[in-house]
Amino acid sequence: MREIIKITVALTISCLLAGIVMGSVFIVTAKAKKHNEHLNTQQTMIGLLGYGKTRSAPSGLKLYNIYRYIITEGESKYLGYMLSVKKGDGTGYELLVLDLKGQFVSRHSLDILPENTIDPEDRKTALKSVLTPPVTISYADTTIVASLNDKRIAYLLPGEFPGFKTFIKAMLALDGDFKILGLEIIEHEEDPGLGGEIEQEYFKNQFKDKLFEKIKKLKVIKEPLPEKYRKYLEKRKWKKGHFSKEDIAVIQKNYQDKDIYALTGATISSVSVTNGIRNMIIKFAYRIKILDNVIASRNVPVSY
Amino acid sequence: MVKGFKTYSVIMGLMMALLLSGCKTEHRFIKKVAFKGDDGIVVTFAASVDDGWAKDISNFIVSEKPDPDIMLDIKDTALNSDRTKLTISFKDSLNQNMPHILTIKGIISKGRPQGTATLTVKKLYFGYLLSILIGAMIINNFVFTKYLGLCVFFGTSQKKSTAVGMGITFTFVIVFASLMSWFLYQFVLKPFRLDYLQIVVFIGMVSLSVQGADTILRKVNPALFKAFGVYLVLVIANCIILAVPLILADNEYNMLESFMLALGAGIGFLIALFLMSSVRERLEFANVPVSYRGLPIAFIVAGLFALSFMGFSGMSIF
Amino acid sequence: MAETTKTNIQLFINGLLNENPIFRLALSMCPAVGISTTVMNGLLLGVAVIFVQVFSSCTIALIKDYIHPRIRIPTYTLTIATWVTVIDLVLSAYFPVAYKAMGIFVRLIVAFAIITMRLEVFASRNRVITSFWDGMGMGFGFLLGMIVLGSIRELIGMGTLLGYDILGFRPLLFFVLPAAGFFLIGFIMAIFNYVEIVYKRKTK
Repeated sequence: MREIIKITVALTISCLLAGIVMGSVFIVTAKAKKHNEHLNTQQTMIGLLGYGKTRSAPSGLKLYNIYRYIITEGESKYLGYMLSVKKGDGTGYELLVLDLKGQFVSRHSLDILPENTIDPEDRKTALKSVLTPPVTISYADTTIVASLNDKRIAYLLPGEFPGFKTFIKAMLALDGDFKILGLEIIEHEEDPGLGGEIEQEYFKNQFKDKLFEKIKKLKVIKEPLPEKYRKYLEKRKWKKGHFSKEDIAVIQKNYQDKDIYALTGATISSVSVTNGIRNMIIKFAYRIKILDNVIASRNVPVSY
Repeated sequence: MVKGFKTYSVIMGLMMALLLSGCKTEHRFIKKVAFKGDDGIVVTFAASVDDGWAKDISNFIVSEKPDPDIMLDIKDTALNSDRTKLTISFKDSLNQNMPHILTIKGIISKGRPQGTATLTVKKLYFGYLLSILIGAMIINNFVFTKYLGLCVFFGTSQKKSTAVGMGITFTFVIVFASLMSWFLYQFVLKPFRLDYLQIVVFIGMVSLSVQGADTILRKVNPALFKAFGVYLVLVIANCIILAVPLILADNEYNMLESFMLALGAGIGFLIALFLMSSVRERLEFANVPVSYRGLPIAFIVAGLFALSFMGFSGMSIF
Repeated sequence: MAETTKTNIQLFINGLLNENPIFRLALSMCPAVGISTTVMNGLLLGVAVIFVQVFSSCTIALIKDYIHPRIRIPTYTLTIATWVTVIDLVLSAYFPVAYKAMGIFVRLIVAFAIITMRLEVFASRNRVITSFWDGMGMGFGFLLGMIVLGSIRELIGMGTLLGYDILGFRPLLFFVLPAAGFFLIGFIMAIFNYVEIVYKRKTK
């Protein structure tokens, strides 16, 4: 009997000790994790807009997040957009509720500090406090509007879509007319060397400069990538004097209307990325037009 | 034998219930709704519907569940000869991996209105479960595609009898341990936001399951214990038995899906062991160069198996 | 086994060569096959293993006198699991890209037979400092194995080393695939065996 008590006590003490160690490490690292993640995303976004180490972002560049939610009230569903609006000298947040057909339903001022909008839990609390229960609020996605000196220059869309193996997370940069400014693959579980090549410039950069009309019908063609086009796509390997301005213009003109060349041995991954991006852009274009209409007709003082 | 039959019939009963539940719909007038081909949805009504009403495509609204504000373009509708089956065709092909919401407004049958129905169209859940099972078993075989459980794998694959014994013991323990881990994860770790304790809790669960299986087997069936007891200890050193709970926690599977994953992993391991042992038994009689004898040649054989299993990658059944 | 008589440096080299976990003891092969696709991956996992091994060895050596013999194994498991959780949290916070590349393997370190075995065979019978060096030796042996495998596979498979383009083309993409991991370990083991046979023959 004494043995069992001794054993139990010893085990409990060890478990508690272990728990304390792990708990403290967790608390310390959790904050750092969020901070690092945020930094990483910021860097990716600024890189997509064309700034980076060689061209630092100008001070007039500001990024505003639009959070989209799906609000279910009994049988009806609504779209809720959480936007940043001008409030006196600073910025505040408002919730704009639209019905499924794009008609304005209601507008609420939100009680949330700008720095807390990054936290999904804080956002949910703020939303819940302005909507009358019983409602179910589910987060849909985020769009980031980039504005330079108060003028809208680009949209950044983080998105996730199914790939060959599980999911692919990507971020797209679009300009005001929904032309692709850039694509960044953030996370994937494709095979290294095969599907993993979607991270390489010669695949990602094929999407650059494609116009909206082409994107709506974008497909994948199973032909080998022309050598000159590949050299143009691998921007990081450009040497001085490699491509003159005229060369670049000619190549752009030739390939702007072409479909995406599939990766060798990774057709399914290429198709997944192309379809995923096409769907993302089509859905976004549809929604942003509706949102802009409502913002204009209701004179919502959005920050962008 | 009788006990086995009882469990078997319980499992079959569960599966039939699932199958049937996928068929019932949420409106009394609509019997069945399912995807058809690449770009269509078929609705089966309880009685014949009016032609005029059916031809008006504005009566039908379809959207993917996560995007209720984006209504899909309907090309046209068609009724079958006795007017109980309606096929809705779409302009673009449908993404059948997403559940779709179909709203049918003001159904008119034989002149009398039957109300409005909102239905969810999705692929058979049973199919999804089966695809997890076969995925874990063959397409993502834990040994050949995910390279887990190798130490134990190479240690017990020398003879068919040890291989099969290890495989069966392992399957039982992993199903039990995974289900227990799932319970703990859903009802203890998640609600209290203790996700980071996953590793400790799962390995604790595994040790407990092994210990439990050991004690139970010793008491209930000593003959069986003599045959398999030795492998029980090895189970805990197997990476797979920790990997399965981690995966089902990451993917947020529900109980049935976790069961399928664990079963698939166990059976896949058994298949891998069986294949390997068959080859190694024959290798005993082959003329292997001295430095390759034992483990090196076993690794090369495993490499060949891994190559052939790569052929399954990307397969999707449902 | 009584307390070891080797010096600290001897212990370290023992872990590296004589009793190299991957090639001689044939333990912890799962990550050796799966993660050694690039040098960077292998390096990071190797460092994680060193961390867990060293800390676990030292912890057990510290408390070995207080461990009740009947709960030896659960105590080892608990210690290892704690340190694995710690390194898991640290890596996912400060090195998210690397952490994602290693996938599930960081958390699986707890199932590595090598660490438990080392605690049972060595750390539970020796002083803290000696256990520290033994742990380092084993950990570095693992790291060495991963780097060797990783460099061969990365160089021949992708033509790069640590991400830097060395060859400029890809000789055999096949080497990046997992099947090649099996082949490569088989070959290297055969080489170790061969060297041992020749050595034995010479000393006869």
